[in-house]
Amino acid sequence: MYCPKCGSPNDDQSKHCVQCGEALTRVVPPPPQAPAPGPAADAQLAPLNPPGPGKNVPTYLAPAILATLFCCLPPGVVAIVFAAQVSSKLTMGDHAGALAASRQAKIWSWVAFGLGLAHGLFWVVMFALGMGLSMLNVR
Amino acid sequence: MTDRRWQAAAGAAFVLLAVLVYLYNPATSRLFPPCPLRALTGLSCPGCGSLRALHQLLHGHLRAGFQLNPLAVIALPYLGWEAARALAGQPPRVLRARTIWLLLLGILAFWLLRNL
Repeated sequence: MYCPKCGSPNDDQSKHCVQCGEALTRVVPPPPQAPAPGPAADAQLAPLNPPGPGKNVPTYLAPAILATLFCCLPPGVVAIVFAAQVSSKLTMGDHAGALAASRQAKIWSWVAFGLGLAHGLFWVVMFALGMGLSMLNVR
Repeated sequence: MTDRRWQAAAGAAFVLLAVLVYLYNPATSRLFPPCPLRALTGLSCPGCGSLRALHQLLHGHLRAGFQLNPLAVIALPYLGWEAARALAGQPPRVLRARTIWLLLLGILAFWLLRNL
C-alpha cells in the first residue's frame, strides 16, 4: 500500500509509514497519475522521474553516505551503488527494479550501521574493562 | 517501538554522541574506536578523520576540520538537509544516477589520493 500523506510504498501490514510515520489505518490504493503532496517541489527536484507511484522510491543515499564517511566503508559503498541503481531504474521507468534496489540500499545501510554500532560497543566495553583493570592494579 | 519512539531514541543518541565528541578529542582520547581498516593495514579509509573533524567543527575550527576530512565536512550540509526533510515528514529527494556515480567516484578517488 502507499502512504496517503507522502506516497511512499509500505508493506500492507504496516501500521505506520516507514518514511513519514503517518498512521496507516486503512488500505489506501496506490495514488493515481497525480500524486498528492508537494508535486511542484518534487517535480523540480527530480525532473527525470516518471509520474505515478514510482516517484517516491527512496534511494537511501543520505544513510549510505553517512555510513561511508562516518562509520564503516565497505557496506556503505555497496549501499551507494544501490542508491545509484534506484535512481537510474526510476529514470528508465523500471518501478519494480527501483523498489528492489531501494530495498538493497536500505539493507546495506543497516548492515553498515549495525557493524559500526557493534564495533563502537565492543570498543567502549574494552575501554571500560581496561579502566577497571588498571584501577585494580593501583590498589 | 513506534516510529516516533525510534526518532526520540535516535535523537537522544545523536545528542549524547555530539556531547562526547565535543568534550573529548578523538585525536587524543581513547574513548573512540579506531578505524578497523587503519588499525589493520595502516591505510586511511575515506571516513578516517571524520570524528576528529566533527570535534574541530563543534569547536568552530572549520579549517582544521576540513584538513582532517574534507569529504565529511562537505557531506554534512547535505546530510543535515536530508535529516531536516525526514523530520518534516517529506520524502527524500532522488538525485540523478549520474550524480550518485560521480559521488562514488569522488569518494574512491579521495581514498586513493589520501593514501599516496
